Amino acid sequence: MRRLLLVVTFLLMFGAIWIALTVGAIKGPPANPDSPVRNIFYAHVPSSICSLICFLVLLVVSIGYLYTGRPVLDLVALAAVEVGLLFATVLNATGSIFSRGEWGVWWTPTPRLVTSAILWFLYVAYLILRSSLPGSAQRRARICAVFAIIAFLDVPLVIISARFIPDMHRASFEFTSTWQTAAFVMSMMATVLLAATFIWLRADLLISESKLQEEIVL
Amino acid sequence: MRFFWSTLSAIFVKDIVTELRSRQVLPTMIVLGMLIVWVLRMASEAILTSKAVMGPVALWISFLFSGLLVQERSFAAEQQHDCIYGLLLAPIDQGTIYLSKLLANTAMLCIFEIIIVPVVLVAFRLGPDTRWPALAGVLLLGNIGISSVGTLFSAVVRVSRARSSLLSVLVLVVLMPMMIPATFALLTVFGAVPETLQGTGALSFIGSFNAAVGYMIAFDAVFVVACWLLFGFAIKE
Repeated sequence: MRRLLLVVTFLLMFGAIWIALTVGAIKGPPANPDSPVRNIFYAHVPSSICSLICFLVLLVVSIGYLYTGRPVLDLVALAAVEVGLLFATVLNATGSIFSRGEWGVWWTPTPRLVTSAILWFLYVAYLILRSSLPGSAQRRARICAVFAIIAFLDVPLVIISARFIPDMHRASFEFTSTWQTAAFVMSMMATVLLAATFIWLRADLLISESKLQEEIVL
Repeated sequence: MRFFWSTLSAIFVKDIVTELRSRQVLPTMIVLGMLIVWVLRMASEAILTSKAVMGPVALWISFLFSGLLVQERSFAAEQQHDCIYGLLLAPIDQGTIYLSKLLANTAMLCIFEIIIVPVVLVAFRLGPDTRWPALAGVLLLGNIGISSVGTLFSAVVRVSRARSSLLSVLVLVVLMPMMIPATFALLTVFGAVPETLQGTGALSFIGSFNAAVGYMIAFDAVFVVACWLLFGFAIKE
């Protein structure tokens, strides 16, 4: 099942990249139409959505942990944060390259850029908190779940700023050909599947690791 | 309800009296705040920035960092001689412990503000003209926001060895979104930016002074309620 998921993800990804680089390529900014910089959109938008999905997973499993106290949920939360941080890093890096190509600056404090930076910082703070709490695993898990819920309260702001607030950063994109739509849909599906696979693999690894540690202690 | 108020006031009075007798945090806070203001005042000479811009910046930076000192103390002091177990074993709601600590931290930050605001106004030659109530309101809202998150995380990090550095990372990260309307509101109070702002910058997405205050009230309400609800999980051993 896992192997099938990986194969489908990579096929979709290669398909999306191939279309995006050939028939579905987006023209560059008016000043420099030959520049391929706008193609980064195919990686940028899916990774922004995936980093938000990972945060949602984190919220759900954190509430679940506080409610049930099952250690597996805490490990899934850690997996979601690590994968979410990966996608948030890709989001900020691709956004920065795009911004340089489009507006000539690497970073500028517009609402969406500020809020996606906040998202990245929240993920990093979670990992710092997790690594610096001594004591029992239950206590650490409970505190991390509390932080995750408080941190999630900042996320609606990220979504509001991306959709409703006037910004030089565009809120939506008009496709000019069916190929572009196809490439976008494929890259979106591939990225979401990739995130799901990563969370699955990482959580599985963490669970095996904790089982092994329990056996060593016993 | 009477029990709730008597518990709340008992812990609140205990914290304030302890601080007034030992004077452990307040003097340090005030000196740190003054040093921050002094450094930024020097910087504003060098970079030729408008003083109406640097004044609010100095205020928020000194509140954030001095606030961290008082918040860190609020549970570290309980931890020292295992006094925390006395609080936890008492037959009171744990949410009440949070609310009284929040109140004590807010009160301490208010005392700090009363001292540091005149210092900033004199150092940067600023005056809010007729907008004193707006200035006081914005500072109080910021104060509640900073204390609400800080008090919860102070309970979270009390057992960690890297207590103060961890607390500063957690509090500053979660407060980042609130600092945008807070900065905007203070800038408008001192006339550094117009009351309504249009464009595409980070501050213009707030829009107007009233919207900034609205955002701050919303943040405060959400943070206080969420922290109060989650405090029981954070304090449990």
